[in-house]
Amino acid sequence: MVNSEWLTGMTRGSAGNVDSRRWQASILPPLLVFVVVLAVWELGVRIFQPPTFLLPAPSEISRTFFANFTELWTYGFNTFREAVAGFALGCGLGILVAIVVARSEVLSSVLLPFAVASNSVPIVAMAPLAIVWFGIDEGSKIAIVAVMCFFPTMVSMVRGLRTPSPAQVSLMRSYAANEWQIFRKLRWPAAMPFLFNAFKICATLSMIGAIVAEFFGGSVKFLGVYIKTEANILRTQNAWAAIIVACILGLSFYFAIVLLERKLMPWFTEEN
Amino acid sequence: MRDASLVARIPTQWLRWGVALLLIALALFLWEGSKTFFNLPDYKLPHLAQIGEAFVRPTPQGPVWRVLLQDTLYTGLEAFLGFVLGGISGFLLAALFVHWKPAERGLMPYVVASQAVPIIALAPMIVVGVGRLGAPPWLSKAIIATYLTFFPVTINATRGLKSVDRDALWLMHSYAATRQQIFRKLRVPASLPYLFTALKISATASVIGAIIGELPVGSKRGIGVQIVVGSQYNTFNPGFLWATIIMAALLGMLFYGVVALVERRALHWKQE
Repeated sequence: MVNSEWLTGMTRGSAGNVDSRRWQASILPPLLVFVVVLAVWELGVRIFQPPTFLLPAPSEISRTFFANFTELWTYGFNTFREAVAGFALGCGLGILVAIVVARSEVLSSVLLPFAVASNSVPIVAMAPLAIVWFGIDEGSKIAIVAVMCFFPTMVSMVRGLRTPSPAQVSLMRSYAANEWQIFRKLRWPAAMPFLFNAFKICATLSMIGAIVAEFFGGSVKFLGVYIKTEANILRTQNAWAAIIVACILGLSFYFAIVLLERKLMPWFTEEN
Repeated sequence: MRDASLVARIPTQWLRWGVALLLIALALFLWEGSKTFFNLPDYKLPHLAQIGEAFVRPTPQGPVWRVLLQDTLYTGLEAFLGFVLGGISGFLLAALFVHWKPAERGLMPYVVASQAVPIIALAPMIVVGVGRLGAPPWLSKAIIATYLTFFPVTINATRGLKSVDRDALWLMHSYAATRQQIFRKLRVPASLPYLFTALKISATASVIGAIIGELPVGSKRGIGVQIVVGSQYNTFNPGFLWATIIMAALLGMLFYGVVALVERRALHWKQE
């Protein structure tokens, strides 16, 4: 066994084959699409010369991106801080409420449909109210992100905490486990995959929530306000560059959660 | 145990309605209670009666509720148009992905990445750009709703079209079924549960997209415009902002509710 593993690991031919197959199947095609799309975009803009406010060329966007680098990333991190703060607040509260709600069968079966239904409410539309309550600055954006993150986290967490079967709970009881031990050793680990699913959804939601809440007003030193202002005065290349920053931050937040998941639950990620 | 489940099972529907009424009553009580207790000013938390009064207040165009209803319907039409366009185009792309592997390999990574990235941030640019071209004002909002619907539908429809049972596929092949027959009789029905999951997400997203599209300066119609107006005049007419947000929330719930209803109709065989 050990020998053959060592062999497959070290044999150049087979490893190289797997690598090149992977390269051809999953890396090359999207890369090709990327290059072609950029080339067509650039050429199209050069040939047809649409007004810059409608569609700036990729070269123009990348020039703007590097010319305004510090400015853009400062704004980006201002918005990112709101997103992370709202995420922490919303998910934290969601977990706490879920722990209370999941203790009762009736309570969770009655409350969950409402929490799920809240998905259908455009929460960002409440941003003006948040501004009235928490001020035009970070407070109102954090509040909106927190509300957006609260419900998915709570719903997933209640479902997760309730996955252990009554038989499992009785087994724990028969060993004289107390409530805390049942929670710590049975319910909490069972809920982890659900929790991380919610975290992944909320990581994206929080970036969206922060930017969109900023569309309703705030200081120009934040991505959402900046994008809206620059688009309004037809400096679209600036807005595009800001969107690239937003995308990088959004993806990083998402992958940070994925990494954390792999770190904390290697057994679950491998099963998938 | 058995008794508890009996109690929990039979009256669940009644229990749910009862608790819903109770929750609403509790919320109203807490609303007015905290207003008096914390002495909150009207612009932060108006009396419930003030919101009701804001709805019936007369304007030159008729009572406020009728004006708001018209604006809400306008936004609803923008969102619906985008929802339909995005749904159809997303499903078509998924069908292409299933039948032509290179397309899936090249494009799918971007479709998936779009879900971890705040693409809604493009909204102001689309509104300004399309508006400058002299297109009708609803078009830019419909475009935003289209791409917000398009990506989730593509992902889930692809997953669904591929989720066919392998034995069923073999059976179809053994009867010499054509690709088209397999697609219509096997793949499409298999994709429906996945498709509806995406459509429920998109229903709310398209409403949010349409509202966000109405925020930039220069928009004249839609509930998004009314929300902005409401936040500007909040100190003078504290019930009005709430009235506009209630309408936006109702619109989101209506979209979601209709999709959920169609889902239940279309998938009744699945739930039994």
